[in-house]
Amino acid sequence: MEIVLEAKQLKKQYQDKLALKGLDLQLQAGEIFCLLGQNGAGKSTTINLFLGFIKPTAGAAFINGLEVATNVTKVKEYLAYIPENVMLYPNLTGLENLALFSRLAGFDYKKEELMQYLVEAGLPAEAAARRVGAYSKGMRQKVGIAIAVAKHAKVLLLDEPTSGLDPKASNEFSELLLRLSKAGTGIFMATHDIFRAKEVGTRVGIMREGELVDLLATSDLNANELEKLYLNYMH
Amino acid sequence: MRIFRILLTYEWLNFRKDRGLQLLTVLTLVAGLYGIYYGTTEVERQRNNIEALDLLTEQNVEEMKEKFPGEADAGDIGYYHSTFAVHHPDSWAGLSLGQRDVNPFYIKLRLLNLQSQLYDTENVNPLKVLAGNFDLAFVLVYLFPLLIIALSFNILSVEKEQGTLPLLLSQPVSLPLMVGAKLSFRLLLVLGLALLLSVVAMVWARVSPDARVTLWLAVVVLYCLFWFGVAFLVAALQKNSAFNAISLLGIWLLLAIVIPALLNVYVSVKQPVPQALALTIKQREVVHGGWDKPKQETLQQFFARYPQYTDTTEIKERFVWRWYYAFHQLGDMAVEDLASDYLHSLQARYDMVQQLNVLSVPVNVQGIFNAVAASDLPAHLGFLQSATDYHTSLREFYYPFLFNQVPFTHADFAVEPRHSFTASPDYGVGLNGIFKLGISVLLVYVVGLLLFRARSAT
Repeated sequence: MEIVLEAKQLKKQYQDKLALKGLDLQLQAGEIFCLLGQNGAGKSTTINLFLGFIKPTAGAAFINGLEVATNVTKVKEYLAYIPENVMLYPNLTGLENLALFSRLAGFDYKKEELMQYLVEAGLPAEAAARRVGAYSKGMRQKVGIAIAVAKHAKVLLLDEPTSGLDPKASNEFSELLLRLSKAGTGIFMATHDIFRAKEVGTRVGIMREGELVDLLATSDLNANELEKLYLNYMH
Repeated sequence: MRIFRILLTYEWLNFRKDRGLQLLTVLTLVAGLYGIYYGTTEVERQRNNIEALDLLTEQNVEEMKEKFPGEADAGDIGYYHSTFAVHHPDSWAGLSLGQRDVNPFYIKLRLLNLQSQLYDTENVNPLKVLAGNFDLAFVLVYLFPLLIIALSFNILSVEKEQGTLPLLLSQPVSLPLMVGAKLSFRLLLVLGLALLLSVVAMVWARVSPDARVTLWLAVVVLYCLFWFGVAFLVAALQKNSAFNAISLLGIWLLLAIVIPALLNVYVSVKQPVPQALALTIKQREVVHGGWDKPKQETLQQFFARYPQYTDTTEIKERFVWRWYYAFHQLGDMAVEDLASDYLHSLQARYDMVQQLNVLSVPVNVQGIFNAVAASDLPAHLGFLQSATDYHTSLREFYYPFLFNQVPFTHADFAVEPRHSFTASPDYGVGLNGIFKLGISVLLVYVVGLLLFRARSAT
C-alpha cells in the first residue's frame, strides 16, 4: 500500500519543553489513524508539523513522500485540514468561502457543485448564501468539512473535527470519513472521542507527554477495552 | 500567479462587502475632489484679482490724466500714480498652493521708497492661515496615509485574529504570497484613487502638460509605496491589530506632525531671520530724517549712485520732487544690507529645511509638490526680486523726467514699464526630493522584509 503520511524521529522542542519526542509513524492510503491523548499531549503539535506551520527540531515529516519542512507549499496540494474550530471569512457567504478555498486548491467548481459539497457536509441549502458571520460554530464546521472534501486530498488532517457538531452531524461525519477512506484518502485525526475513534479508526495511537505510548488496531479490541487502556495510560 | 490572482479577486469581494472601508474610501475621494475644487478656486480667485489689477492701473492712469490735464511734473505722477508687481500663479499651483496663501501675489508700487512697500502687503486673513490649505497636495500628503493605515493595519493580524490563517495556509498558499496579494490589492486601490484624483486635478486646473505630469505621478506612486512599506514593516512584526493600528498612527503623527514641528523650531533657532519690520523701521527713519538733512548732502549721496544726474546747482526752493525722491532712494540704500540679509536668511532657512526633510517623508513630498507647482518660498523670493527689479525700472523710467526736468505727458503713460512675473518650477528640488523618497521607500521595504523573515523563522 502507498504510504501517504510519515513521521521519522519527529521531534519538537519549545524552549524548555520537549513537546514531541521522536515520533515514528506511517499512514497508508485509505487508513484512518486516530490519535488519542489529553490536552497538551502533543497531538496538535504533530498536526502542525505535518501542515508545516512549525518546523521540527529534529527528524522529518513527510506527506505523499515529500518532506514537509522543505516543501511547505507543495505538500499543501496533497492534504486537507479541518481544525477544531473552523474560522472563515465573515463577510463572505458559505458558498463564497468554499469557492475561495477550492479555487486556491486548484478546483474551479460550478455553483451547483459547490452547493452539493455543502449540502453533503450537512449545511442547509438556504444557509449557503448567507454571510458566514451569522453562522453557528457547527455550521462553520460543516463548511470546513466541505472545503476539505472538495479538495480531494490524499491526506486529511483533522484536529478535533467533530467539536461543535451535534450527535447526528457527528454520525454523518463518521460516515463521510469511512467513504473517503474507501476512496483511498489517508486520514489522520487527533481526537478525545474514544468511541468515535473505535468506530471509524483503522488504528489508534495513544499519546502521552509527546510520546506515542501505544499503537493498536481497532479490530483487536472493543470500545470499553480501548477506554480502559486509554485511562490507564492517563493516570 | 494563479493563486495571486485568486487572492486579489477575493480581496475585492471582501472590500465590496465591507461598508466601513467603502465609506472611508469614498470620504477620501470626496476630500480629494474638494481639495481640487479648493485649490483651483483659490488660484482662479488670485487670477481674477490680478486681472482686476490691470483695470485698476488703467483707471489710475485715467485719473492722473484728469488730475493733470496737460504736461505734468513727473514728481506728481510718481507720487500719485501706482502700478502693481504681480505674481501670476503657475497652472500647477491649484494642485499645491504652497505659500501662495500666506505670501502676497501682488504688490502695489509707487515711485517712493521700495522697502516699505514690499512688506506693506497684509492681505491675508490670519484665521484662514491658521486653518491652512485644503488642496490636493494636503489630501495626498496628510490624508492618504490615514487611508492606507486604515486599509492595511491588519492585513496579517486579522487573519490570525479571525482564525482564518490556519485554513488559508493549509492551501498551497505561502504567507509572503498572501501578504503580498493583500498589500497589492490595497496598493492598487489607493494608487487608483490617488492617480485618478491627480489626473482629474490636472485636467480641472488645465495644467501645462510638461515633465511635471510624470514627476507628480511618480511622487504620488512612491509616496503611496512608502506608506504601504511602513504598513508592511509593522505587519512584519506580527503583532495584534491594536498594536499595529497604534504603531502606524504613531508613525503618521511623528512624520506628519511632530517632526515638522520640531524641524520648524530647530530651523528657527539655527537660522534666525531678521524681521522685515526692523528693516522697514530703519528705512522709515532714514527717509523721515531726509526732511531735516541739508538738501545738498542728500543729493551728493544720491549722485554717487546716479552720477549721470549730477547737478551742482544749489536747490533754493523749500521743496522739489527730485530732492524728495533722492532721500527716498537713500532710505532704500541705507537698508540694502538688511534687505539682502533678510532675503538670504529666508533662503538659508529654506535650504536647511531641504537638507533636513530627509527626516520626514511628508515634509519632503510637500516640498516636492510646492517646488513643482512653483508655489514654494524660492518662488516668492523670486517674485520679491522681480518686484525690486521692476521698481528699479520705474525709477529708471521716471528719473530722467525728474532730474533732467522734462515734463511728463499723457503719451508717456503708454511707455511706463509694466510688471508680470510667473515663477518657474524647481526641477532640482523635485528630482532631489524624489531621490530621497526613493531611498526611503527602499529602506522601509528592506527593513520590512528582514523583519518578516526574522519573525517567520521564529
